[in-house]
This record gives sequence, structure tokens and C-alpha cells, in this order.
Amino acid sequence: MTERIIKYADAIKEAGDQLLASDPRVFVLGLGVPQGAGGTTTGLHQKYPTRVLDTPTSEASLTGLAVGAAISGLRPIVHHDRVEFSLLAADQMFTQAAKWNYMFGGGNPVPLTVRIVIGRQWGNGPQHSQAFYSMFGSVRGLKVVIPSTPRMAKGLLIAAVRDPNPVIMLEPRWLYGTKQSVPTAMYEEPLSRARVVRKGRDITVVAYGDGLLAALEACTLIGKDVSVELIDLVSINPLDIGTIQKSVRKTGRLLTIDTTSEAFGVGSEVIAGVMKKLPLKQTPVSLAAPDVPCPTSTALTEFWYPTKVDVALMILRMLGKPAIKHKLSFAELHLAPSYLHTV
Amino acid sequence: MAIKRTTKKKSRSAAEVRDLVSAYKRMLSVRVAQEELVKLYLEKKIFSMVHFYIGQEAVAVGVCDALRKSDKVMGNHRSHGHYLAKGGSFRTLVCELLGRANGSAHGKGGSMHMIAKGANFVGSTPLLGSVAPIAAGVAFEQKYSGRDSITAAFYGDGASEEGVVYETYNLAALYKLPLLLVVENNFLSINSKIKDRRSARYSLKTIVEGFGLRYERADGNDYDDVHAKARELAEYIRTRQAPAVLECTVYRHMAHSTPLTEETYREEDKLENRLANDALKRKFDQLVTAGYSEKKLFAMKEAMRTSVLQDIEFAQKSPFPSKKELFTDMYFRQ
Repeated sequence: MTERIIKYADAIKEAGDQLLASDPRVFVLGLGVPQGAGGTTTGLHQKYPTRVLDTPTSEASLTGLAVGAAISGLRPIVHHDRVEFSLLAADQMFTQAAKWNYMFGGGNPVPLTVRIVIGRQWGNGPQHSQAFYSMFGSVRGLKVVIPSTPRMAKGLLIAAVRDPNPVIMLEPRWLYGTKQSVPTAMYEEPLSRARVVRKGRDITVVAYGDGLLAALEACTLIGKDVSVELIDLVSINPLDIGTIQKSVRKTGRLLTIDTTSEAFGVGSEVIAGVMKKLPLKQTPVSLAAPDVPCPTSTALTEFWYPTKVDVALMILRMLGKPAIKHKLSFAELHLAPSYLHTV
Repeated sequence: MAIKRTTKKKSRSAAEVRDLVSAYKRMLSVRVAQEELVKLYLEKKIFSMVHFYIGQEAVAVGVCDALRKSDKVMGNHRSHGHYLAKGGSFRTLVCELLGRANGSAHGKGGSMHMIAKGANFVGSTPLLGSVAPIAAGVAFEQKYSGRDSITAAFYGDGASEEGVVYETYNLAALYKLPLLLVVENNFLSINSKIKDRRSARYSLKTIVEGFGLRYERADGNDYDDVHAKARELAEYIRTRQAPAVLECTVYRHMAHSTPLTEETYREEDKLENRLANDALKRKFDQLVTAGYSEKKLFAMKEAMRTSVLQDIEFAQKSPFPSKKELFTDMYFRQ
């Protein structure tokens, strides 16, 4: 299969373009979508003028319209540029789309995809960079995926649109500039399955989104001294505890990474899910942001987000290995990465 | 019901009388079905929250009679009438209300989640204004796919105060959707009166027209008025590919969600006013005035009651869903 290196945002755009070209039921709507939506829809309105639509700044109704179109057989892709704004459509996602098939006793597909940009972005503070992952994970009836790499972004979006259920794709904005070799053809990545991105023996590290990037970089910092099994969670609804249990059965140690506050978080849920079933060699650890809102000043966010150094130090500590020294630069701490993914 | 006879009978053609009978019959079937459901509810046989539609039949029947079979309809928490008027089966409805496996939603939905896709009743969803944008999406598909059909959604005066409904007016006008939004204004949001919820200068007509939609108002206690205006709007929506709002002022005979007729919070909509303006009574009087046999009308009602009771008996003998059904259908599987 032909591949070339492209950015995360371009991978999403390519998936959208190929979906629009291959299925007349697909259409895209959201505020600013014809203008490009952070590069994820650039040029698509010019190519499909009646199917790539701008909307009023009315999150609830535009999402509701997509629900209605989906139950009528179309395959809408909604775009919300910030998770905070998407919550204005919480009723439509959580109570309407998510419950539709169940509340009518089956036979009522809702092939809706909602793309939501989430989380970290420098200078955006308490109301523009929240990461409500666990809220989406707690809603029964939704499928919720988090692409951690460009290759996952393309494959998950294609799988989401082809799935007969409402799928929320939470896209960490922090990753938009990361790169990877991505196939040019259409392909699907499984929606509800975690993936082992690095095999290891000593410890299982579970991460997702920008947390996976921190974990990958931490592994590089640590070097070959520790054998880390790294799992990309991919799906937080449903949660693929089976894949994690299988790994922890082997390693006996578990570390979870969240790039948001710990309380009621994904890490806590993963730890609970594993501990209910398995004895561990060591108390599991959740590495997360502190339980306060994310501030704006870089002097404060420096201590909010778990960094690659935090992850590396925690892995080494859990295994009783000596700490490493690495001074993070301003760019490493505060600027969105252009990391080249290999997994 | 005491019938006041007028001395001179208005002469009507046979076709007119046939139409009168048909309208009366369709409203009556909704009324009789609900009267029997009330009894069942009071006997504590229904463990599904029920919002009775008694009193508002002319709206559901008047609008649905103005639509084509291929047109789609959506409803809300109080949608027995919309479901039945669009052609949903009463037998399937009562099975659903009794939580049986053969109900319209296999016991998972209950009274607030009516569905009859075969009759193009797309579904009722009880979070008030939520239905408006979903119906806009159903209409969007009709336009997107180049169909000749339109979508009608019913919601109340309470729902129409939610932000998403105002958003939908704009969205529907912007995308020029074939959408009929029917506001059933019974002056009550649960028990809160409209005058306590809206400024004295509130005007739905001004609001709707300001968003660029056509607006009509009908007497929701009068089948003929509802039907005529719904027909006119359906024609307008179909030919112009533009949305419209039909506001029907109507009396809710019972309490919000129980079959009580207690009056403490009522003002203008007192029992005597509700009965005097009742849509079924009006049609009954018209028929009798036109010379139609009163005896036949009573017989019609009793025949309907017999059929309704048979359906209820069938439902009561129907099986409950098995425990494993709890875990099915969270996701749709091909």
C-alpha cells in the first residue's frame, strides 16, 4: 500500500474527502467547516459545495439536525471546534443519539459521527482547553474514540462513519501537527479495541491522545533499560479492559496517563477495571493533571500537564531504577509538537 | 353528553357528511383508546409514565389528515395521539405501555417513546424542544435526497421556550427545509402558566416570522380549522421548500402526567370551558345537526371500545421481555 508522511489534520481531511467521494450519504457540517476547521476540511467545500456546510453558531440544533439526518439514513459528520461548545449539544449526543436504538427496542441505526477537538492548546486556559474525556466515556450508547496518531485518525474516522452507531471522535488539538506515514488508500481501524503499540515485560503503561505521545517520548528518554509495554487505549467507550488485563497479567504493574485532572478520570476507571480481576505486584499509579482547572499562564501550565519527564520518572520509580535528568525546554513544555510517529 | 338540538338542520352533501364522519371517527378512536388507558392506569396496570392526550385530538388528527402517507411525523412525551393519527397500531401501543416484548419498542421505551416506522411515524422523544432539530434533520434528508415528502413535528408551548427551538427556526429557514413545526399551545408547561413564563409582549408570530418562517394560528379545539390550515401549510412547504409553524391553541383536559382533572391551577381552561369547546363534542354536534343518527354515533363509539378492549386483553396476555433483553440493542448490529 502506498504511504507518505502527512500531518494528523491532513489525515482527517483525507479520510473526509475519501468518504465524501465514495458515499453520497456522507455530508459534513459545523461552524467554519467550509473555511477548513483547523486544516481538517480545507478545500472540501470547493469540491463538494452542497455537502460540506457551514452552520449557524447553534451547536444544539446543528447536532440535532445531524441526528435526524442519520436516523433517516444519511451519514453526517459533525464538527465541533472545542469540546466546551459541543456540550451545548449534550442532549442531542447523550440523550438523543446515544439512546435512540435502545429506547426503540433496536432496529434504529444512528450512523452519526461527531468530531470534537479537545484539550490542550497554549494560552487557552480554564474554559478553552478542558478535556472532558470521562464524561463521554460514561454515556451508554455512544462509541467514543481518541486517535493518538495520524494513521489512527484516518482509520478511525472512516470506521466511525461506516459504523451504524453514534461515534464521538475526540481529537486532541495538541496532536494536529504530529506526523506519520499514512496509507493513501481507505482503511479502517477498529473502533472499540485498545492496541499494544510497544511490547514489554516490566510494566504496562496505558495512555491515549497526547498522553500517549508523552509516554512514547518517555520510553525514548528511558532507553533500553526498562521493558515497557505501552497500550494506546483508542476507545474509552466501550473500554477494552481485556487487552489491558492481558498485558498486566504479564507485567504485574500498571501506570495510567491522563492529560486532564485525575478525579473521576479515565485512569481511575482503567485501574479499577484491572484491579477487580487481577492481583498486582505493586500498587498501580495514575499520573494525571492536578484536580484544579487548567490555568493560562505558562508559569502555571508547566506544573499542570504531566510531561514526558514526569512519565519517565514515574516508570523508573515504580521499577526501583535510578532517576534520569532532563531539562525541558520552553518549546517542549509549551508548544504543540511536530513529532513523527512510527507506531 | 347532553346534545342541544338546533331546530333547523343544515343541509350538507353526502360527501361532506362522509368527511365529517371520517374526521369524527378518527378523533374518536384516539379518545376512546385513551379513555381505556386511563382506566388501566388507575388500576395500576401501567408502569410507564403516561402523559394523556385527551382534549388535543383535533390537532394530531387534523394535521395528520392534511399530510400524505409518505410524509413523516415526530412527536414528544405526549404522543399517543400523534402516533395513532399517523397510523400506528393501538395494539402495539398498549403492549408497549404494559412493558411487553411485543410492544412498539419491545418494552424498552414505554409511553414516551412511541414509534411506527412503517406508518412514517419516525418516533417521539420526550425532552421537549429536542425533537425540533431532529425533525429538521429528517426534513433535511428529504430535501437532500430529492423526495417530495415533508416532515411534521409536534411539541408544546413549554418546549417552544427552549433555546434549541429558536435555533431550529433559523436553521430550518437557512437550509429551506420542508418542515412543519406544530406548536400545541395548551397554556401549561407541566403546571406553570404561560403568563408566568412569558413577557406580556411575547409574540410567537413575530418571533417565527422574524426568523423567516411562515406562521399560522389555529383553534386546536376545532378539527376543521386545524385541518384547513395544516393543509395550506403542507402545500406551501412542499411547493416552496420552506418551513412553517402552525400554533394550535388547545385544552389539555388532564393533569400533566396523571389522568386527573383537578383544577387548582386552572384559570381560563376550567372544566366547563374545556367541555364546551371540546373538539369531539363540536364534531358530534355538527353531525347531529347535519341529520346524522345519534344512535349510530354511539354505536360507533361502542364498537371502538370493544376493539380497544380486545387489544388491551391481548396485551395483558402478551409475554414480558426476557432478562437478556436488558443487554440487547444498546448498539445497532447489522
